[in-house]
Amino acid sequence: MSLPGRKDEAWRWAELAHAKANMGVAAPANDLLPDTGALWLDIAGERRLFIGGQAASADGAAPAPAGFSAAFPAAFPAHALADMAAAEAATCTRIDIPSGHDGGTVQILHIGTGGAAHGVTQVTLAAGARLTVIETLADSASDHWLNLRFDATLGAGAELTRVVRIINGHGLATERAAVALADDARFTGLAIAYGEGDARTETLVRHDGERSFAQVNGVLLGDNRATLDAMTTIEHIAFGTSSGQIWRLVGAGRSRVSVAGGVKVARTGQKTDAEQSLKALVLNRTAAANLKPELEIFADDVKCAHGCTVGELEKAALFYLQSRGIALPEAEALLTHAFVADALGALGDGPLAEALDRETHGWLEARA
Amino acid sequence: MLEVSDLHVRTGGREILKGLSLTVKPGEVHAIMGPNGAGKSTLAHVLAGRPGYEVTAGSATFEGADLLALEAHERAAAGLFLGFQYPVEIPGVSNLLFLRTALNAQRKLRDEPPVTSADFMKKVRVEAATLGLDLEMLKRGVNVGFSGGERKRNEAFQMGMLEPKFALLDETDSGLDIDALRIVSQGINRFRRPDRAVLLITHYQRLLDHVKPDVVHVLARGRIVRSGGPELALRLEADGYEGIAA
Repeated sequence: MSLPGRKDEAWRWAELAHAKANMGVAAPANDLLPDTGALWLDIAGERRLFIGGQAASADGAAPAPAGFSAAFPAAFPAHALADMAAAEAATCTRIDIPSGHDGGTVQILHIGTGGAAHGVTQVTLAAGARLTVIETLADSASDHWLNLRFDATLGAGAELTRVVRIINGHGLATERAAVALADDARFTGLAIAYGEGDARTETLVRHDGERSFAQVNGVLLGDNRATLDAMTTIEHIAFGTSSGQIWRLVGAGRSRVSVAGGVKVARTGQKTDAEQSLKALVLNRTAAANLKPELEIFADDVKCAHGCTVGELEKAALFYLQSRGIALPEAEALLTHAFVADALGALGDGPLAEALDRETHGWLEARA
Repeated sequence: MLEVSDLHVRTGGREILKGLSLTVKPGEVHAIMGPNGAGKSTLAHVLAGRPGYEVTAGSATFEGADLLALEAHERAAAGLFLGFQYPVEIPGVSNLLFLRTALNAQRKLRDEPPVTSADFMKKVRVEAATLGLDLEMLKRGVNVGFSGGERKRNEAFQMGMLEPKFALLDETDSGLDIDALRIVSQGINRFRRPDRAVLLITHYQRLLDHVKPDVVHVLARGRIVRSGGPELALRLEADGYEGIAA
């Protein structure tokens, strides 16, 4: 297996140097458990922990059952890194929620400890089932490559919320989520990358069922020399499906933040309603932002709206806050938090949304 | 309280203020009137610390401290409040979050404890009711979807909440209908106290019908060219700037 390169359009903004450096290098044995307390969100629910790709038990996390589902229902297209994760992962998280059940919230924490670590999460929601999954990618302060694959199939009327937090300060975290939706199924995805380490987050949503809905949002907060890269592909295959995408990117220091937001409407996808909003804020002139909306439409009765802007913080707004007593760094943090609020709004109200809002605000204030 | 002496200010490559001097004592209300382009808003912005204005000569002190040496947020914490001619919209930052952050930032700089939620909301209710502002409106982004009049009322609301010592009000009356002008004027009159002062920048006499100034100044060509009592504003209204500022 080989890594994709910059000549491949889908990977032109990704920084995979740490993947190259760590590919084939085994993660060290996890006999010394790092302190993971601060890495979990304070949300009730089951917890699973993987350190260096191995299932671990700490902080009350249950050991993950080993083994893959040989017959995962959805066949997702080949993907260089996701396929590598499936081939290399030592174990997997498998969650099946039966029809009509609410699976609550499951938090899965993956910690890179050096070398390469791979992980796979497979979720199957039967008709009318519900689940919230929070996956966190972090590291134990060393160069590493953490590579995840997330596959989900949703039955009719099922509802899945997936949050992925990428908080690695070193090395590289990559993850690809693929979600297939049956009739009336709903998927809400939110990716947040806070960063000093490099990251690539990718989401593929396939609207196989009529009237299915997906909201795929993301916040990339780049600092120092981080390269944070996101890609989405929303495939509207069935009749009358809808999707929304809100991505807010913030580039500080010498970071590079990028998103390619894709919407594909098949000939069968009549009455598709898709919206996409990609915005970037460049806090320092040394940072860079790339935004690329990609629309591929083969049906003739669809609505596909998209908007794309790159800018700086408004000076008049900054002065307004300062004139009321707020120092410039805090004013910048407040306005930047407001800028990303649209994307965080995917989760509506509730403890998860509040926890992520606090975390984002805290991160911005800490770097102020 | 505020002492401006021989102030020269450049912005955009042009000298706008050319030796402006002004003294405002505690308890006083001063009005500055003048034609377009005279430098009224430049004076407000430079005193509040807006970037982009270069002071090339002169001084400005506030309660004896060098005002020009302070950052904009420090001037606010020292007690200076700028009421904006065009208050900006800040989507995503609610009025209440903004005000509470500002109030606590000022208190922190003054070594005072942060305001409690209960005390903050109590004051919000009182001030909002006085100015006829809906509490639901204040949960929205700062000035988002506010009419011109509502924005100016929001400025008066912020002034009431932050309790500054010195209000520097830049064309507070512009964009106000008769009723809104009366409400905002009442806000300014309530603010008046022997230990506080107001500098009103305005084009028109009509604001001064509601807020009686102690001193009226005419600002023209970057300097104060005439000062007098309230009757000076009436003369300006009757004769225009040309006759008096010539």
